[in-house]
Amino acid sequence: MKILISSHRSLAALVHPGNSSDLGLLVRIMAALVRISSVCYRGVRPLLFRASSLIRPLAVQKKDRDCPYFISAKIHATPSNYAGSGSKAASLHWTGERILSIALLGLAPVAYYYPGPAVDYSLAAALTLHGHWGLGQIVTDYVHGDFKIKMANAGLFLLSTVTFAGLCYFNYHDVGICKAVGLLWSK
Amino acid sequence: MLLTTVARQGLCSSRLQFGVLYRHAVPMGTTAKEEMNKFWTKNTRLNRPVSPHVSIYKWSVPMMMSISHRGTGVALSSGISAFALAALVLPESYPYYLDLIHSMSFGPQFLAFSKFALAFPVAYHTFNGIRHLIWDLGKGFRIPEVYRSGYIVIALTVVTSIGLAAM
Repeated sequence: MKILISSHRSLAALVHPGNSSDLGLLVRIMAALVRISSVCYRGVRPLLFRASSLIRPLAVQKKDRDCPYFISAKIHATPSNYAGSGSKAASLHWTGERILSIALLGLAPVAYYYPGPAVDYSLAAALTLHGHWGLGQIVTDYVHGDFKIKMANAGLFLLSTVTFAGLCYFNYHDVGICKAVGLLWSK
Repeated sequence: MLLTTVARQGLCSSRLQFGVLYRHAVPMGTTAKEEMNKFWTKNTRLNRPVSPHVSIYKWSVPMMMSISHRGTGVALSSGISAFALAALVLPESYPYYLDLIHSMSFGPQFLAFSKFALAFPVAYHTFNGIRHLIWDLGKGFRIPEVYRSGYIVIALTVVTSIGLAAM
């Protein structure tokens, strides 16, 4: 038992989040210890140990001398040594949003100096997609509940489709976006 | 029992170097999205009131600029969608309707004001958008910097809108 205690303490002292192999070993030892000791009488939810790659590190905060409890923080951490277990979809979406914003920014002077059908259709696509993604973020922020989210996103998709169709129609059958702004401003 | 005491002792006496120690790592069975949904379904089912937040917190310039960014975004998007819908639905062409508006002979001040009203949200959303992109690069997060960049955006917006309205 004493050996266990000292090894526990020395391991704790050696902890450095940067070192992944030590961390992995430590994680397994700690998880086993936790499973056995099953925490303090604060009545924390049962800790399940599954060989899944999503782990939940618990934050340990030392407030004062006699702190028998540890405050847990739920963090969804996917350490690099567990790479491949998560989807990059959200991250790629974020990057796509930024690239589109920069592209739209660049389109503005181009539209001013080189108006024409190419810019008209590019503008139609960029504006619609930028608006679609922006409104999508608003839906994510304020709409809750599986069904409501699904409905809101379906409605948004419909709106964006109609918007793009309308802009393309305008570009084809009417004067086009660049010319339209020019005409509007000329009076 | 002994192990529990041991675990607690170990926890309390170890030196804490970082805010979060990955010491007790427990795998989760749910995704972040699932957890958020669980939170909302449970709390709406129990009909729990939401604590006042926007209604009591003191408004600041960054807060107002942030929601204005969202507001101008929604307004501009709605405008574009309305325009697109009109293009699909209305029978006549764009120059026809433009001439119709011109024939209504509004004063020059009204025209200048309308141009300003159109240019303002576009300019604000654009400049504040650039500010957002700079944040995405990781720059300008210190509070004085946030205020400074905010005031610059406001100034640029006003100047640009006046300039565009004068064209």
